Amino acid sequence: MMQWLAFLFFGSLAILSALGVVLFSNVVYVILSLLSTLVMVAGVFFVAGAELVGALQLLIYAVAIAVFYILVLTAVPWEKALKKDSHYRVEGVLTFPIVLAFYLEIILVFLLGVSVSPKGEIREYIKSLGNTEVVGSVLFSKYFFAFELVSLVLLVGMIGAVIIGRKEEKTYEDGSP
Amino acid sequence: MKMVPLEAYLILSIILFGLGVFGMIVRRNLVTILMSAELALNAVNIAFVGADAYLGLADGQIFALFIIALAAVEAAVGLGIIVAIFRLRKVESSDELTDMRG
Amino acid sequence: MEIGIILFPLISFLVVGLFGRKLGDLPSAIITVLGSFFAFLLSIPASIKALSSPFSVPLYEFISLGNYTLTLGLYFDPLSSLTASLVCLIATLIFIYSIGYMQNLFGQWTYKFYAYLSFFLFSMLMIVLSDNLLGMFFGWEGVGLASYLLIGYFHQQKYATNSAFEAFVMNRIGDWLYLFGIFAVFYLFGSLNLLEIFEKVDAVDPKLLGLAVLLLFGGAVGKSGQFPLHTWLPNAMAGPTPVSALLHSSTMVAAGVYMVARLYPIFESAPQSLKVVAVIGGLTALFASLSATSHTDIKKIIAFSTMSQLGLMFLALGIGDKSSAMFHLTTHAFFKALLFLSAGSIIHAFHHHVHEIYEVGGLKKYMPITYATFFVGALALAGIFPFSGFWSKDLIIGSAYEVSFGLGVFVSFVSFLTAYYIFREGFVMFYGEERHREHFEEEPKESPSIMLIPMLILAIGSLVVGFFEGWYVGVLGDKKEIHLDIAISSVVIALAGIGLAYLVFVKRVLDPEKLYQSLKPMHTTFKEQFFTEKLYHKILAGGYMLYSKVLYTVGERQLIDGLVNGSYLMAGFLGRVFRNLQQGRVNLYLLFLSVGLSGLVLLTLLWR
Repeated sequence: MMQWLAFLFFGSLAILSALGVVLFSNVVYVILSLLSTLVMVAGVFFVAGAELVGALQLLIYAVAIAVFYILVLTAVPWEKALKKDSHYRVEGVLTFPIVLAFYLEIILVFLLGVSVSPKGEIREYIKSLGNTEVVGSVLFSKYFFAFELVSLVLLVGMIGAVIIGRKEEKTYEDGSP
Repeated sequence: MKMVPLEAYLILSIILFGLGVFGMIVRRNLVTILMSAELALNAVNIAFVGADAYLGLADGQIFALFIIALAAVEAAVGLGIIVAIFRLRKVESSDELTDMRG
Repeated sequence: MEIGIILFPLISFLVVGLFGRKLGDLPSAIITVLGSFFAFLLSIPASIKALSSPFSVPLYEFISLGNYTLTLGLYFDPLSSLTASLVCLIATLIFIYSIGYMQNLFGQWTYKFYAYLSFFLFSMLMIVLSDNLLGMFFGWEGVGLASYLLIGYFHQQKYATNSAFEAFVMNRIGDWLYLFGIFAVFYLFGSLNLLEIFEKVDAVDPKLLGLAVLLLFGGAVGKSGQFPLHTWLPNAMAGPTPVSALLHSSTMVAAGVYMVARLYPIFESAPQSLKVVAVIGGLTALFASLSATSHTDIKKIIAFSTMSQLGLMFLALGIGDKSSAMFHLTTHAFFKALLFLSAGSIIHAFHHHVHEIYEVGGLKKYMPITYATFFVGALALAGIFPFSGFWSKDLIIGSAYEVSFGLGVFVSFVSFLTAYYIFREGFVMFYGEERHREHFEEEPKESPSIMLIPMLILAIGSLVVGFFEGWYVGVLGDKKEIHLDIAISSVVIALAGIGLAYLVFVKRVLDPEKLYQSLKPMHTTFKEQFFTEKLYHKILAGGYMLYSKVLYTVGERQLIDGLVNGSYLMAGFLGRVFRNLQQGRVNLYLLFLSVGLSGLVLLTLLWR
């Protein structure tokens, strides 16, 4: 019961915040809505029993990434955006039915696909060891290779972001560096 | 205690994902497009974790971890690109950015 | 050796046609004359041989169809060899004449003219000498083509090209009927060879034979300008005079008569069809002579007289008298060519500027030789003793009286009219006031001798050929006798016609202009050929043009052009639509991505 209520609470707030992300014209409102959404999603994770993921969501997403966005939005001197320039109206109207159709299809897909997966292998382990340890033991045994790869990707992304984002060197009038 | 059924997680996930895609298409400012992309990624995470809770596996959570990490990388690189675009072209929206004529 | 008869004109056609430009016009003309002259020389011994025993010269087998082979070959019997000699002789004389007539056109690619003439001669000889219907058809088509090329020779004049076209189309209609006739004959007899057909004539279904015969006759109607395919013949006078003399008086239009005479055994077995032949022939004879009395164009009057005389020949064939028809064809070739050449001499004297008989007058003292030859031809046409026309026309009148008195009177009336109109033309042109002074400055001179000599030869022929009547008729396997009373009455009727013309046009007993005005409706009807020409032009040609125009505006413009234009409009439209796929805006790309994705998912779902 409690789970269900918590889920409803977090879920509805997540949807509302997501609507805000999509619909607000003022950019700062959009960021704040995004932050709210991320926190609510973390709450949903906790309700589902994935404590590690939920905690990491809060740490990485709600803190680091949100800060990225705020930094870029405020430190770079954008021009003043007008309210009515913030959305593409025509495409919005066109997209709506497509997204709706997509919804229906995905529902069908999930319901079809979920029924054929194996279930319930490690419930006992969870009960005994707690969530984090279980995740850790699966991660470092079965998905070790993927783990290493992801760290590699992180490294590359870091370097790339630095290179892309830095100021160009000054050049002289005749074009030589 | 009544368990939250799987369908609830999935429905929530779909709604958020659709909103994210919708936002990507509708929004004009480049940064807000990226923010809608984050929203969509989060929706997928919810789907993974929800399936995990229902099935009693740990794999979905691991995958959700990976997604979070990669989303962070993507945000960093994407924002770096946007900053570079702005430095070069002094534009901030996707229709001013494009050179192709309709 | 006999193959040289058709080979010489063919060779001269090829030589002049291919090399005429390098050779020049006068050498081309000489080659053509030599070609026909040698053909004539070779035809004489062939005729002599054929008179005693007919023979065939097979030439070539070209397609073998199961149990029948299509061949090409020549057949010489009295009918074909005598006609071939006649054709070659007349052709040679006219070719020599044309060197003088076309003199002022030399230097303007006149070698084409001679090439066409040689081709015509070759095709005509194919018709005359071929031993099967296929070769005859080949020559038939060839003379039609030559006629088109030659009538339209002055191709810058619209009237000439229209006339050539009209001639070709009407000929074609006749040819179409003729072709069906050939099909019917092949179906009936299983062979196209004339000798084989003649053997089997009695063994086939008479009704189908009658139909085949009528179809074949349809071809003759088109070729000889009989009613109802007649309107092209007067208009064919747009061609140069040698062409009118050769094609449209002596030889090509006579091909129809020749064909009926050649295939006479078939025609005789279908007596109903012969009646049709006679009716059409008689109708055309009367109708053409009535038209000739009202026309004023120099050559058209003579053209109508050709139509009328051919009608008489068909009438003779229809009542069962092949030999008199063929003899009349022979004599007619001489005097009709003569009349045309004399008319051409007059036209040439005025540098090709005159067309009407009322534009000239009193030429007797300026062009005495032309005057003499014209009147020789006219007397022969009218049928006055002892000119050749008398003998041949008398045979026809005699046969007509044998069938019925009414028919005899009919033919006599036609010859009365014939005498009247040809002497009308002669008297107006050679006697009376010199109307040409109003139009032309210089006086007309006599034509050069290169033109006069053929005319004189033809004049002698018109005088003398008649005496060979008995021999000719005997050779063709008939026996005829001249009835004295019919002979005298026909001469009297002809003299009456001449006398009427003399009184009206020379002595002015009745003023011709006033007479013309008072009888205007009748004259106009005759002149317009009983309105057949107008009818054909307005209804048939006009209807076809209207149909074409409708098809053009609807079918061509709207449908086909619409389709073609529509395809480019469609391409532009589709291009504009697809251009939106690549706007360069991320949002749209995402939109298309999502559309595609949902489509794929839908597909996967449905596939399940």
